[in-house]
Amino acid sequence: MAAEPTSPAEAEGSEATTATASPVEDAAPDALDAPDASTAPESADPTTDSTDSTPPEEDAPRSHWALIGLGVLIVLVLGAITRFLEQSVPEWAADTSFGDFAAAVEYPVYAIILGLLGGLVISLTGIRDKVSDGFRTEFFIKTGLVLLGASINLSVIARAAAPAIAQALIVVPLVFFFTWWLAGRLGVDDKLRALLSSAVSICGVSAAIAAAGAVRARKEQLAYTASLVILIALPSIFLLPWLAGLLDLSAPVAGAWIGGNIDTTAAVAAAGAIVGEEALQIAAVVKSTQNVLMGLVAVALTAYFTFKVDRTPGAKRPGLGAVWTRFPKFVLGFILASVVATWYLNSAGDAGKDTIAVVNDLRTWFLILAFVSIGLEFRLTRLREAGWRPIAVFTGAAVFNLIVALIVASILFRGFVV
Amino acid sequence: MSSETPSDNASTPEKAGRTAINEDWAAVIVGLALLALVLIGVIPEGVIP
Repeated sequence: MAAEPTSPAEAEGSEATTATASPVEDAAPDALDAPDASTAPESADPTTDSTDSTPPEEDAPRSHWALIGLGVLIVLVLGAITRFLEQSVPEWAADTSFGDFAAAVEYPVYAIILGLLGGLVISLTGIRDKVSDGFRTEFFIKTGLVLLGASINLSVIARAAAPAIAQALIVVPLVFFFTWWLAGRLGVDDKLRALLSSAVSICGVSAAIAAAGAVRARKEQLAYTASLVILIALPSIFLLPWLAGLLDLSAPVAGAWIGGNIDTTAAVAAAGAIVGEEALQIAAVVKSTQNVLMGLVAVALTAYFTFKVDRTPGAKRPGLGAVWTRFPKFVLGFILASVVATWYLNSAGDAGKDTIAVVNDLRTWFLILAFVSIGLEFRLTRLREAGWRPIAVFTGAAVFNLIVALIVASILFRGFVV
Repeated sequence: MSSETPSDNASTPEKAGRTAINEDWAAVIVGLALLALVLIGVIPEGVIP
């Protein structure tokens, strides 16, 4: 559980033994005062829980409301361009040799690329730190996840539910605990272990956000994990469909493999769409099943970190209230939306599907805004300053997930007909 | 970026905590409100680009 004692060399990575002894109260000012990774000194390693990273006050200026508004406006404009490109590029390229490729490129790709370009521009113009409070990644993605709940209908997943649940129950714990073990072997900080394990095993950035709320990780740790997720997910969108063809997998097996392997839900949809409609359907069901596990893992992590990790000697044992405080509330909205949409579809019948499609459009908008924000916030320096250990953990876990998910999907979805 | 991670511009841990919690609940409220508005027809088909 606790991080191994660190050597100076290890300190270059992500490991800080102080994490296990830090009282809960320390997490907030630490995260609050975390410096910009691109300008932070070495002692401000974004993957550690060092409390020495408090920058001078002038390095963390309060943003004026107008600047916050400007930041939100930047996100909205880039989001609108993303939506425009997502809908227009396939039409433009329809009669060209790039037609199939353009049709397969989903909105996360445009959103992240535009976000990265936007981040470069605002960095060069020197306004990044002034407007960054408008990049409300947390709010955008949580709202998108609540709306995602409305697209998860029990009647839709009924046929594939049993193998999907079985796959999730087998793959998620295996990958989670393998990542947890590997990160522990490499001396990665406990909170980052939780984020990496959740991100690889469940659903990428969303699970990392849930885990971050549960374990009170630092903002830099979440941003770093999100950066890793995006770095791995982007090539996976194209790599897995290619490998599925190479391995001659059936569409359901390929879909189950993609759904159980790629971290972000949006990237799963993108990769599934590249393989085909049947693969996309199975991938969505499998991924949705994993998304449901997100809440359970968040509760388990909340309990574990509240009662085990953050307890200091002589400190008062945290009560159940602390568990509730750490529980990511958006999971409740996610579940409630699923219940409401399932009831609505059962009542309205097929006519209700068009209505839910509007909810899905709204969800896509919020996810676009979230991905744009992630691109705007992404800084390569975070990866470099975090050291090689978390990258090794994430890469190793991704390969493990690739193999385990392939084996399990091949067994559970053999002979499955969509 | 997490439900318990304060925003950069919060000047105190207490304020940061409130901001984070408010944003967490705000996502739930906005998400469910949008779902309700769609289901009762206030946001009809074709409005969302």
